[in-house]
Amino acid sequence: MTRARGDGGVRFAILSAAGIVLFPFLFHAINGYAGLATQILMVSIASIGFNLLLGYTGLLSYGHAMFYGGGGYVAALLLIHFMPDHPNLWLAVFGGTLAATALALVVGALAVRLYGIYFALLTLAFAQMIFFVVEQAEGITGGDDGIQSFPNALLPIGPYNIDLGTALPAFDLGPFGNLSDIKLWYVLTAVILYVVLIGMRALTRSQFGEVLTAIRENEERSSLIGFNASAYRLAAFAISGALTGLSGALRALYDGTISVESVGIDRSGSFVIYTIIGGVQTLLGPIAGTGIIMYLESVLSAHLGYWRLIEGLIFVAVIVFLPNGIVGTIRRNYLARVAKERAPSSRALLAESLRARPGGPTQSAGGAEAGPERLKND
Amino acid sequence: MVALSQALLNGLVLGLIYVAIAVGLTIVFGTLRLVNFAHGAFYAIGAYVGLVVAQQAGLWWGFLAAPIAVALFAVVLDRVLLRPFYGKDATSQILVTFGIALIVEETLRLIFGSTTQQYPMPAALTTSVSLGAFVYPAYRLLFAGFVIVMLVLVWLFIERTDYGLIVRAGVRDRTMVQLLGGNIRQASTIVFALGAAIAGLVGAAASPIYSIAPGTGFAFLVPSFVVVVVGGLGSFWGAVLGGILIGELQSLTTLVFAPGANVIIYLCMALVLLLRPQGLLGESEVIRQ
Amino acid sequence: MTSALLETSKLGKFFGRFAANEDIDFSVAPGELRAVIGPNGAGKTTFFNMLSGTTDATRGSIVFKGADITRVSGTQRVHLGIAKAFQTANLYPEQTVLQNCRLAALAHEQGTFALEVVRRSRRLLVIDEIAERAIEQLDLGNVADVRSGDLAHGDKKRLDIAIALATQPEILLLDEPVAGMSRDDARKTGALVRKLADTITVLIIEHDMDMIMGISDSITVLESGRVLATGTPAEIRANQQVQNAYLGGHSEAELEA
Repeated sequence: MTRARGDGGVRFAILSAAGIVLFPFLFHAINGYAGLATQILMVSIASIGFNLLLGYTGLLSYGHAMFYGGGGYVAALLLIHFMPDHPNLWLAVFGGTLAATALALVVGALAVRLYGIYFALLTLAFAQMIFFVVEQAEGITGGDDGIQSFPNALLPIGPYNIDLGTALPAFDLGPFGNLSDIKLWYVLTAVILYVVLIGMRALTRSQFGEVLTAIRENEERSSLIGFNASAYRLAAFAISGALTGLSGALRALYDGTISVESVGIDRSGSFVIYTIIGGVQTLLGPIAGTGIIMYLESVLSAHLGYWRLIEGLIFVAVIVFLPNGIVGTIRRNYLARVAKERAPSSRALLAESLRARPGGPTQSAGGAEAGPERLKND
Repeated sequence: MVALSQALLNGLVLGLIYVAIAVGLTIVFGTLRLVNFAHGAFYAIGAYVGLVVAQQAGLWWGFLAAPIAVALFAVVLDRVLLRPFYGKDATSQILVTFGIALIVEETLRLIFGSTTQQYPMPAALTTSVSLGAFVYPAYRLLFAGFVIVMLVLVWLFIERTDYGLIVRAGVRDRTMVQLLGGNIRQASTIVFALGAAIAGLVGAAASPIYSIAPGTGFAFLVPSFVVVVVGGLGSFWGAVLGGILIGELQSLTTLVFAPGANVIIYLCMALVLLLRPQGLLGESEVIRQ
Repeated sequence: MTSALLETSKLGKFFGRFAANEDIDFSVAPGELRAVIGPNGAGKTTFFNMLSGTTDATRGSIVFKGADITRVSGTQRVHLGIAKAFQTANLYPEQTVLQNCRLAALAHEQGTFALEVVRRSRRLLVIDEIAERAIEQLDLGNVADVRSGDLAHGDKKRLDIAIALATQPEILLLDEPVAGMSRDDARKTGALVRKLADTITVLIIEHDMDMIMGISDSITVLESGRVLATGTPAEIRANQQVQNAYLGGHSEAELEA
């Protein structure tokens, strides 16, 4: 982990933490309510997972709802059938995530050998199968209506069973609401999202991430220097599925209900929309995209019946005019200037020191690495 | 026996709708290398335009207006938005066409509302015909015949005209087509508009059977992708074969085990992708590692 | 006969009835620089693709270091020690020359798959050294930090070789490494390739007869998918069949290497 710190990791860690802590209050100031803030963080976990697959591995999955809803349904069913008296949040969420991961490994093993459109269509096929099975298996899943209510899961820590609906102590913050707006749900989700974010950052900057990028950039070459592209893709797919399942499980438990829409094609599409608008190949893009769209959805859909039309227009506009997404474009234009002035990364320094050995062939011109993916952090 | 025959006929009708949509999808992919997730939008626009015109001027004018309107829309789409995406990586294409599909669907919802609409049908066509042991709606039979005629015409276009030559050649070898010269751009636009028009025409013609809602386009598009995969991306006859197969499969499964009807077609798609990804009649291009 | 590093037995590639390669018995000893020549359509690239694993053989077998690798995947073969450079330079265009080579070195070091999340600085050093060496051997030191997509054609071709080299192969397959290069560039690259053959085995497809005659230890001539002849440059030059099939268009002066 020391490497991550070396290239801006500490600053990233601090800024992200600050952002997550301050978010609900700033959100309140623009008319967002705390419950929505929690939901945004939860769905963002899935978006981050989705982005690992789309942005860094270059695979567009059109069926991620099967992990999201799948994780949710499994978590809900575990609560209802196996722990109705002692609803344990850890177990439910863990179970949901595990189920989603297993599904991702199965689907992934089959799908990752296919290219482009065929990959997208296969993920779509599986997701649709699961959708219709869930819809039809009314006895278990409640069919179209889904599962309306299930026991409130408690979080056991040591001797305590914590009800996550508990609010923080009251403390008035003026236009930023009141501290008691925040429930422990938000705290838990914030911690989980933070860990996921830092972990994703480390992963994408690791050797694993480097190889994923290489495979995305030129798969033929990658195979012929000895990388097993399918294996890497499968790993990315599994991680992506796991995170999405985690997100779905949390969301289901938070909402207290789950319906068949959570495995539907619109849900799959939503991850695509959030990630593209926020910016693929960025870490914060998926979170930003999720936040912006979910916020607009909540605020606008109350007043405008045609909210989804606007969403579609924004989506196409971003694809055509801002191919790096909102965060990506900001990063490119403004932070690119800052990156040039910043000191070179330790890897570049290392390379330079090797070249500076007696008999080394080059003088390196400067430390800054080339290529958009290599721009240092967000 | 009666139920079976009806199911078979229903399957044929449904299958022909899939064929019509799939043919457009597949020839566009074969020629332009464009994966068009917005193809369902053509169907939906056709249905609604047909509806509006039919309400004003009668059924047949509706059927005439639909493909024309959709073709125009397709040309505009081609010129304004989609051209830079031809031949690009599949992901970009899926994304932008998906966005367009979303916009179209929501615009239709805005204009027409979410409730399903019924097509105004002249009384003469709502009758049923006696087919031996059972009766069957006359319109459906008419529709089936109509689509078959349309497909024959499209086939003739592909096989006998210069533009069609580009469709056939394009499926085999895109660079070859460019080297051969010819007005590729014009041909491409025409092929794209043709595929769209077919979908639009069928959208209008099928609406009396299946009714119209903003989501109908996408609802028919997704199974049409199944058809295209099963039949083979780029193959006309693959689309025909695949469409009939899938339509019948869906219909017969509904008869035997209704909850499985939708699951089974996606299972088919998954199996084909895994075992024979080029589909039944498709060219074996580089699909997998 | 010295124990061959790589040999094929009745190797063939058929597309339906069309034989791109047929009945190829081929053998190369360690440290040799073997050129594979022949008119266009002789099946040279197909042959290389079968050796590297890019294409599956239809018939026959390939044996590398005594083990049958006919069914082994291309990715695995890289780890066994067979590396190929492409006819059209196949690079990571967004990455620098150094990064391109580092990726190859990384693949060599960590195997076909590794879930490596924590960087290990010792391995980084090893990788950098391997990449450095490959760059030096192909004389790309002065463009090490340039985005490979921005390179001149000749540098791109050399980078493609360097990438293959960075996987630490025992045998290197070069498919027309000097195609499209200027005379000087080609000569320089030829010399670099000759030097490579000091330490590893090199198979090279080329049309540049000057270069071939100048640097090869031995030559295999393919025609219509079959082996026509194998021998030293002198033997091949003197071979009447080869003259007719392939070298007929070249003047005697050109053949004086």
